[in-house]
Amino acid sequence: MEEVKIGVFLSDCGKQLSEILDFDALTDYVKKVSGVALVARDSEFWRGSGLQAIVDAVKDGKINRVVVAENLPKLSEVKIVQAVEKAGLNPYLVAVLDLKDHCAWPHRDKPLEATEKAKAMLLAAIERAKLLEPIEKLQFPALKSVLIIGGGIAGIQAAEDLADLGFKVHLVEKAPFLGGLAARAGRFFPTDDCSICIQSPASDVKTVTHTSRKCVYRSGFTEIPNLNILTNSKIVGVEGVPGNYKVTIEKKPRYVNELKCVGCDLCTTVCPVEVPDEYNAKLKTRKAIYMNIPNVYPPVYVIDESACKFEDCAKCVEVCPTKAIELNQKSKKTTLNVGSIIVATGFQEYDPSVIKEYHYGEYPDIITNLEFARMIDGFGPTNGTIIRPSNRKPAKRIVMIQCVGSRDRRWNPWCSSICCMISLKHAMLIKSAYPDADVTICYIDVRTTGREHEYYYEKAREMGIKFVKGRPTEIVHDPEVDLLIVDVEDQISRKFLELEADLVVLAPAMVPAEGTKELAEILGIELDEDGFFKEYNAKLRPTETKLRGVFLCGGATFPKDAPTTSLHAHSAAIKTAKFLNTGKIVKDQKTAVVNEEYCGDCEFCPVTCPYGAITLEPKDEEHFVAKVSDLLCEGCGICVGTCPVNAIELRHFRPNQIQAQMAALMSINGASKPLVLAVCCSECGGTVVDSSGMAKMQYPANVRVMKVPCTGFLQVHQFLRAFEAGAQGVMVVGCKSDGCHYEVGVKKTEKKVELAKTLLKEYGIEPERLEIFNMVYIEGDKFAEAARMMTEKLEKLGPLQLMKT
Amino acid sequence: MEQRKAENTNDLAFSKEISSRLGGETVTLCYQCGTCASSCPVARITEKFNPREVIKMSLWGEKKEILSGDAIWLCCSCYNCQERCPQRVEIADVIYALRNIAIKEGNVPNIYSEFAAGLLNEGRIVPISKFLEKKRPEVGLPPLKPAGVDALRKILSATGFDKLQKKEEAS
Amino acid sequence: MTSYALFLGCTIPARQPFYEVSARKSLAKLGIELVDLENMTCCAPPPLQSIDLETSLSIAAYNICLAEEADLNIVTLCTGCFESLAMANATLKENEKLRARVNKILSNAGKEFKGNKEVKHYLQVLMNDVGLDRLKKSVSKDLSKLKVASFSGCHLLRPSALLKFDDPERPHIFDDLIGALGAESIWYRNKLKCCGGLLRGYADDVALAIAREKIVNTTKAGADCISTLCPFCFLTLDLGQMLIKSTFHEEYNIPVLHYAELLSLGLGIESKELVLDFHKIRVDNVLNKIS
Repeated sequence: MEEVKIGVFLSDCGKQLSEILDFDALTDYVKKVSGVALVARDSEFWRGSGLQAIVDAVKDGKINRVVVAENLPKLSEVKIVQAVEKAGLNPYLVAVLDLKDHCAWPHRDKPLEATEKAKAMLLAAIERAKLLEPIEKLQFPALKSVLIIGGGIAGIQAAEDLADLGFKVHLVEKAPFLGGLAARAGRFFPTDDCSICIQSPASDVKTVTHTSRKCVYRSGFTEIPNLNILTNSKIVGVEGVPGNYKVTIEKKPRYVNELKCVGCDLCTTVCPVEVPDEYNAKLKTRKAIYMNIPNVYPPVYVIDESACKFEDCAKCVEVCPTKAIELNQKSKKTTLNVGSIIVATGFQEYDPSVIKEYHYGEYPDIITNLEFARMIDGFGPTNGTIIRPSNRKPAKRIVMIQCVGSRDRRWNPWCSSICCMISLKHAMLIKSAYPDADVTICYIDVRTTGREHEYYYEKAREMGIKFVKGRPTEIVHDPEVDLLIVDVEDQISRKFLELEADLVVLAPAMVPAEGTKELAEILGIELDEDGFFKEYNAKLRPTETKLRGVFLCGGATFPKDAPTTSLHAHSAAIKTAKFLNTGKIVKDQKTAVVNEEYCGDCEFCPVTCPYGAITLEPKDEEHFVAKVSDLLCEGCGICVGTCPVNAIELRHFRPNQIQAQMAALMSINGASKPLVLAVCCSECGGTVVDSSGMAKMQYPANVRVMKVPCTGFLQVHQFLRAFEAGAQGVMVVGCKSDGCHYEVGVKKTEKKVELAKTLLKEYGIEPERLEIFNMVYIEGDKFAEAARMMTEKLEKLGPLQLMKT
Repeated sequence: MEQRKAENTNDLAFSKEISSRLGGETVTLCYQCGTCASSCPVARITEKFNPREVIKMSLWGEKKEILSGDAIWLCCSCYNCQERCPQRVEIADVIYALRNIAIKEGNVPNIYSEFAAGLLNEGRIVPISKFLEKKRPEVGLPPLKPAGVDALRKILSATGFDKLQKKEEAS
Repeated sequence: MTSYALFLGCTIPARQPFYEVSARKSLAKLGIELVDLENMTCCAPPPLQSIDLETSLSIAAYNICLAEEADLNIVTLCTGCFESLAMANATLKENEKLRARVNKILSNAGKEFKGNKEVKHYLQVLMNDVGLDRLKKSVSKDLSKLKVASFSGCHLLRPSALLKFDDPERPHIFDDLIGALGAESIWYRNKLKCCGGLLRGYADDVALAIAREKIVNTTKAGADCISTLCPFCFLTLDLGQMLIKSTFHEEYNIPVLHYAELLSLGLGIESKELVLDFHKIRVDNVLNKIS
């Protein structure tokens, strides 16, 4: 191993820091530390001549490790590390510490003690630098092809973006036709434009203008060159890793050749089978060979294999002019190689039959919003007329009921977000078609929160639609008058109403689409507590899942309206494009690594890793050993904190590095106050120390900070070692309990701290010497206070007497 | 509608008092949807009782009005509201809790004192007449086994039930 | 022979000996043994729950302890008793904290609730231990001309989360058992609505208005009789018709019979053995339709 030559660069931030810290003393001290080959002092080292000095020292071979005491390390470290890498040194051989926010500012009242603390901080950085190892840059393939699961408007819009950008896109839809819920909805609020209207693809330059938009089937979207559309298909298996997935698709037989069908409709005229048309709310029948509505993609008929009589009939085969019908088609499996996957499977309407007091399914004149949408659609089962399904007579008195199975802890506790607007839309469509119709909406709250939604509500009131604030208890059928009676209390007038209705339209909850659970298992992604696909973080990482390479968009994560779905879909497309754009995934190997000799095959770490980065590989006939995927590992170190035999380590936070830092921080006291080691995570915990310093909050200089990636990285014995190293007290500072940036880390730490406290008691050490704090950036004042109170407490407890064996 | 003076009669601790009692734990879940009101057989017949309004007033802290008024005694315990409530508020049980508080504070409707007296004396809320007890063998019924009055009294003493009655007798 | 500890409650022995008579006779005929335990008390129904829930829960638990000690499940006739005891049983089985609290109170009476027994209503015993088929075969009279408006009352079904007796919105057990006797259980408006019985003594006018609605609806639907399970419902609808006559000047004369009475008649037990003259509304019309 080559000799370690450390360069220490001290920035006094335009002489601000030297007003408080004795830089001469610091320089003298550092010079004497073994391994230090060069000490320099300047105003700034992250840019200008200061940065050049570091670069020169590296290039001249004078140093092969860099320690910089610099302001704003989150900003400056990036610049320093980039420059050092360019100069030819591995960027992980750099340690940056903050003497300003972690030392000078918070201890400005005690400059002598601050200087002693600064010495300890520098020593810790130097000792760590001695033990740092170069970290490699790894590359993984990123295929420039995308699988989009779900051919509704979310999937379609994301597909369009990515195909236009030049990615190969496979759009897979389980139904025989594209369009999803949108195709059935008819119109979208608040503009009431056609629901299947989408942006035209950029590639279609001959027939579209910049502002052009068209319905899906004539937008040319389906003809985008690198877009492959598979309908009647579903995902049956996924293998591989982000950037390189192998997906198995099963395509169900259509029994009609897509290349031959000309859409002449002769087959349906001869088909003898009639079944209730589910697509059209069973308000009419369809044949065994069918197309949902005239304008669909693909414009090819499909045979319902549960209804068709196949060879026993085959009348359609005889009559088809292009011989397109192939009754012997079989299921086909295909494999696709893709770099990433977008889930756009949407949502569905809840089946309200379980809400027995509403009698849905028993009384035919009680329908849902989606069924009503089919009724009022001109292409629909009643040609757009509003009728009572029971006797097909016109419906004049309509009552709509909101929150059917939504906001209901018995069924679905969430608010489905779009139903108020949908019902308003339907109510206004009724009134437009039949101004004399009597329409009443029963609601708990009216939620019209989006842009222009309030005006939509206003228009509804102007049209004479009535509103009852009250949730009905029951719908009964009065056989004497053949009417439905809705039993409701009108809270505002405090009257008990029995509303008579020809037709009742329920607004059921919007729930996860069928097959969500199975798909989540196949893909290895999580569902949230409501059963929708879980977005990693709606604000910070929208459309992402915990698995890099698998994205979500549209109603699959939660019911949303069309504009929001559009946003989400375009967002997912950008994320995917960013991920796959360069054709490779570049990652630094500051990941976890398993020492196979020690690994006891206990299976704790694969289960604990929040990212599924650890798998068990067979070692020999009987044993397995843990293996970490460098691609999936996020470097949090929670596995390290979990392993009972120290068989797994983080490459950039090795045990000897941690040990050395701890010892160094505790080696210089310089104060009469008891030493405290504050171990902070690099997420919230670390920033709260920064912010308290930035705001010049004062706390004692005996508090020394050491950063780890996640507090979950810490093992119980490390808390005890801190006391051995000389700490009188230990503070563990992490994110909020349910806000750990690595999901499970801080919660595990809380348990470990409890365990450590019990052990401390056994050793005769007061358990209050160890405490955990959950804080976020804006709570800088709380950190300062906690540090002060800890110090006070330790002073009261007196010095720690550790038994030396 | 009567005019109400804009005075602050709210007892903000009232809803906490209810939710910390047996039966009242779920009261704060209510979002005033009114399903209970339309489920209630009593509310349709008399304006004096509306379960939604009882819960609303309780959450608002109208302690005096609730505990000294008629309303809470008009619930017929049919549990229809509790069955249909979308927030799973245990409305009928909340009304029991309100009655419990009212009685604890000395507001006892007469009929309840009669029940309580029967319980303390004979272990039954409806005393069995000697006439009927004698008639039992005539109609082929076995003799009635005695009630466990002693054990019952020990329980009533342990929960302070007997003291509730004494308070009422005193007032 | 299946044995149960019979829980009589207060109202039945005090006011409705006919219910007890018909229940004992019919269940005995079907092979169900009813054991009378000592020291049972009031079940602590709504009137006592209104005074104090903790006390009521403890009283109910006490009665269950007696059955636990005798190693018998409980069967009740009154649905009020069923609700009180079954709710207590379910709650204390699930809720550890509450169980500890109640057991502390029970220790004063030398009892401990263990949660190892069931509380059933006699309709459950008929459905599960006898079964519809055996019941049908045991019926020796022809009730096919009888149109029965079944009214189970509230406390058999609700709160369904704890009682788990039947589907609270589409209950069928009571109707199936009436059908097993050969009679017809008819639809009538607001079948599951409360009779208002518990308001008697506090708000008689409201109680009577609610009761009247049920009498009107059952009569309108063409019922020959109303069948009840709860003694309070019985009182409200039977005696209630006398009050309706005096208050509203309307006469309906629709007889009210507990299911146990219909069951006894169907099994061939002589009507004179059933003390039916205690009913306020005469039941002759019903007896005439049974052959």
